Amino acid sequence: MTDTHAANRREDLRLITGRGRYVADSNLPHQLHACFLRADRAHAEIVTINTEPALKCRGVVAVFTGADAIAANYKQFPNMMTFTNASGATILKPERPVLAHGKVRFVGEAVAMVVAESALAAQDALDAIAIVYRDLPVAVSVEDALAAGAAQLHANVPGNLCFEWDTGDAAAVERAFAKAAHVTRLTVVSQRVVPSPMELRGCLIGYDGASDSYDIYTNSQGILMMRWQFAALTGVPEEKLRFHLHDVGGSFGQRSAVYPEHAAQMIAAKKLGRPIKWVASRSECFLSDSHGRGIVMAGELALDRDSRFTAARYQFLCDMGAYLTPTGPASHVRNPAIGMTGVYRIPALHGNFKVVLTNTSPVAAYRGAGRPDVAYMVERLVDQAASELKIERDELRRRNFIPLDAFPYKTPTMGVYEASDFAGCLGKALQAADWNGFDPRREKSRKAGKLRGIGLSTVIEGTAAGMFPKDQVAIEFDAQGRLEVYTVSLSTGQSHETTFTEIVAQTLGVAPEAVTLRESVQGKNLSGNHSGGSRSLVGCGSVCKLAAQKLIEQAKPLAAEELELEPSQLDYADGAFRSRDGEKMIGLLELAKKLVGTSPHPLNLMAEASVGSTYPNGCHVAEVEIDPETGVTEILSYTAVDDAGIVINHSVVEGQVHGGVTQGAGQVFGEHAVYDRESGQLLTGSFSDYYMPRAGWIRDIHVNDHPLPSKVNVLGAKGAGESGCTASLPSLVSAVLDAVRPLGIQHLDMPLTPSKMWHAIQTAKAE
Amino acid sequence: MTKLELNVNGKLRIGEVEDRTLLADFLRDQLGLTGTHIGCDTSQCGCCTVHLDGRAIKSCTMLAVQASGAKVVTIEGLAKGDTLHPVQQAFSDCHGLQCGFCTPGMIMATAALLKDNPNPSDAEIYRGLEGNLCRCTGYINIVKAVKRAAQTS
Amino acid sequence: MFEFSYLKANSLSEAAAFVAAHPDAKLLAGGMTLLPTLKQRLAQPSHLVDVGRLPELGGIELKAGRLAIGAATRHHDVATSAVVRNAIPALAYLASHIGDPQVRNCGTLGGSVANNDPAADYPAAVLALDAIIVTTQREIAAADFFQGMFATALEAGEIIVRVLFPVPKRAAYEKFPHPASGYAMAGAFVAEMATGVRVAVTGAGPGVFRWSEAESALAQNLNVAAVDKLTLEATDLNEDFHATREYRANLAKVMTKRALQKMLATK
Repeated sequence: MTDTHAANRREDLRLITGRGRYVADSNLPHQLHACFLRADRAHAEIVTINTEPALKCRGVVAVFTGADAIAANYKQFPNMMTFTNASGATILKPERPVLAHGKVRFVGEAVAMVVAESALAAQDALDAIAIVYRDLPVAVSVEDALAAGAAQLHANVPGNLCFEWDTGDAAAVERAFAKAAHVTRLTVVSQRVVPSPMELRGCLIGYDGASDSYDIYTNSQGILMMRWQFAALTGVPEEKLRFHLHDVGGSFGQRSAVYPEHAAQMIAAKKLGRPIKWVASRSECFLSDSHGRGIVMAGELALDRDSRFTAARYQFLCDMGAYLTPTGPASHVRNPAIGMTGVYRIPALHGNFKVVLTNTSPVAAYRGAGRPDVAYMVERLVDQAASELKIERDELRRRNFIPLDAFPYKTPTMGVYEASDFAGCLGKALQAADWNGFDPRREKSRKAGKLRGIGLSTVIEGTAAGMFPKDQVAIEFDAQGRLEVYTVSLSTGQSHETTFTEIVAQTLGVAPEAVTLRESVQGKNLSGNHSGGSRSLVGCGSVCKLAAQKLIEQAKPLAAEELELEPSQLDYADGAFRSRDGEKMIGLLELAKKLVGTSPHPLNLMAEASVGSTYPNGCHVAEVEIDPETGVTEILSYTAVDDAGIVINHSVVEGQVHGGVTQGAGQVFGEHAVYDRESGQLLTGSFSDYYMPRAGWIRDIHVNDHPLPSKVNVLGAKGAGESGCTASLPSLVSAVLDAVRPLGIQHLDMPLTPSKMWHAIQTAKAE
Repeated sequence: MTKLELNVNGKLRIGEVEDRTLLADFLRDQLGLTGTHIGCDTSQCGCCTVHLDGRAIKSCTMLAVQASGAKVVTIEGLAKGDTLHPVQQAFSDCHGLQCGFCTPGMIMATAALLKDNPNPSDAEIYRGLEGNLCRCTGYINIVKAVKRAAQTS
Repeated sequence: MFEFSYLKANSLSEAAAFVAAHPDAKLLAGGMTLLPTLKQRLAQPSHLVDVGRLPELGGIELKAGRLAIGAATRHHDVATSAVVRNAIPALAYLASHIGDPQVRNCGTLGGSVANNDPAADYPAAVLALDAIIVTTQREIAAADFFQGMFATALEAGEIIVRVLFPVPKRAAYEKFPHPASGYAMAGAFVAEMATGVRVAVTGAGPGVFRWSEAESALAQNLNVAAVDKLTLEATDLNEDFHATREYRANLAKVMTKRALQKMLATK
């Protein structure tokens, strides 16, 4: 992927000239503005709540509380976690109120909503709402929440344990461990982070009394998933929910779910008969956007005399926050379960998952959604084993890779891996990063008083499995005969307008400018998945290709008719049907224009496919240098070799890897949602306290590909949205530990802040 | 309420605002210039960057009334007709944007940086973009875009 | 933000009159700290008196061995001023590392000094250079001006007009920025004055302070090794989840060493 002179993206022009349309840019006539009063404590009973004084404030139209939410008779937040455990139990679902009633369970939980003529007036009135709380004990960590006598968040979730689930063969693992020549044990934490897409969360909802229906403008990852969740939560039928989705300023999983604020605005819009607009402040986002990660993982790896892995077992403590989000449990259980074997042949596996509630903001999917976490666990174990057994890290990996001839590889737990060349990726990455020439570089740093380390990760992730069984794409021609492609996906920065139109245009042999993409459009009767799980290209993109192929077939008889020939006498190439003798031809787009007037346009069509899971994989190598005086780690170089399957647009894939690696680096070196253990207050509630990667933090990322085409979709694509995150957590930590292992430091937990590194180095030197 | 008068993208604009109205909100809500984005409340993200009398400022950390009498350029006023500003062109050429939300602020910050320093070193680019956050690109292609713009300006 | 009335002062005396008339008024210069504070609803002034563009608070002038900088001078203007860069390059360097470019285009010297944020950069220079803060009412020595976290000697209604910086033989500033906010986690301003070497540390403690042990050691031996032997007492330093007090003490020392090294490299 060395194409640095990429074609300019289709979406760029409006975005670089300030004509993008994000949620805050939408307005409706006569709209009112909402503002939420949020809990200022982590766990308390609401004794009384008095909204009267707020109603008297200037500009205030109404105030809503939990009582109004109950009166609306809404249902429950849906959950994508459907499987049962060995004893047949499903996940316990605590009730999540739209606005808190009875109790508040995390700092930032919405307690009341003021609706006023202006956002400022609504905000002014918040202070006039008087609430008397009775404080309750707080548990902000999974360990505290599971401890005997811990604060109980919900009556129907004893011990704050929503679900316990086992996967794999515990007995086989036990037998293998009994015979093991060596066992490596390690507990690691993938700490809670705040996804922080740059666009603030917001929503605008209008209500039409005549049809008892709603118009909804919000940030989202796709129309169907959102509509299904809104309907499931509110009980309002899907056909009465009209979504108007435009540009979205990043998502990373944080936009995959319906939120309480959405439902509260629906209640207000219906009651007041005027549209309700709300745009969060960043402080509110920190408190109430879904958070990501938050898994404590204990792993054990058994090896035989030849250092071959014979078994592994894990315990996962998954922090879900105070309530379950629709995607949280599934992403923290299902995805790690698929990835437990990593890229290695491990005959026996067992995983135990505990899904736990804490007095913190609810957790949902975040870029990778459980995949980076489990990859981090597996790769840390492998590095640790290599260190203990004094085997080179690359050698131990090679010895245990699932070999090329073993695919498709059914893992001992979940999933069937597609063909992957782990050793090939590794070899390419080590060469690109000059792995073998590292020692002189380490020596050079040592002479300058610095600690230098090199690290690697070899990872795989199961992606692209959608919730809806099929992805559908429609091709339609407008009144001028122009070609429009309709999809259910929604780009939140992934360049669909460029990539999907490229696919259609290339398949048809027409100019990309002749193709217009329309995503997540209201009123299109299409099924399919939202954008998430690295799946839009794999699912939606491949159906774009099928739709274009179908268009050629569907147009052929009509072209033949137009040219007064038999279809069998026609060939299609370069955007046109031609007679075999070369005498007659008609362009596809010309034909489409001629057919305008017949309704529906005879070339309109819908294509669909069911696309299974794909398995992007790769090897990343990082090189770092630590200044022992300050504890600062500098990333000197970063090399990524990824098998994302067949690449459609190199610069787009490269951009996804850049972003993913940088988000991973953010988690490795600084990002951490820190709650105070005693008070439950969020200590990292703004960009002044919460570390975000900035320009120059990673100076360059060398992105190379090593594609093996996927067999599950016509493009051969495997997805690239999350792989950067998944591979960068373990590769960067591997590099840091490599730098400090000579000092005797074997283990550190993320984030590897300068303060933490300095203390670790000081302690090691003192010993 | 206070009356204010300022030149925005070459046009004289008159408005009346609550004293506490932020310049960013005035530009967005009263003038409809929604290309100026708001991404935080602590002056960290830089999405709201505009030029005030030729210098980059964060319009979410300035009162509209403070800007009265000043000359403001927003992302909508950067191109000359259909000709993009070299920085806009470079961001597109280098795939320096993904979701596009931070982009107006990034472009305005870059344009100001290059005005002061037409040939910045890598380190000067990093410092020049210290006031702007991006969550999508990892900044790699943004930095490339700044260099490209420096060459083409 | 709570409601307030905005008053634009047309002269220093008018500004002083406004503040005198409205006890709950606050001065607004660059607004880089005040406006975020108001946005978080952490303060509720009745009036904001805008002094940001008053000519009487502007100007950079070198006179009788002292650099006079008007209180409303933007960080960017200090950073790029030929006069400052000639007289006290370390001060220009410091100004060029405050916040980010957009902040430097708005934030002012007077605002930073009056706010006395324990992690602000300017107080380190003011204290190390033994500067004088000239207000509408008097002249205050740096040593008397800073009185701990966000506290200064300023009386109600008193407005900083300019700061007079004695020009040192040589000086240097180094800071370790907070990973999120960019404020100083620890910053050290080292200045060689006619009276000896002065070391002021910001960011590490509850307010800017002079590191007297380092100053004494440097009076004996003006080299980095002299500081290397010292340990800054951590007991009274700040601690949070970003950095322990021991780490801050270490950073203060490392920044002192690096500033010293830089200073000694200049003629």
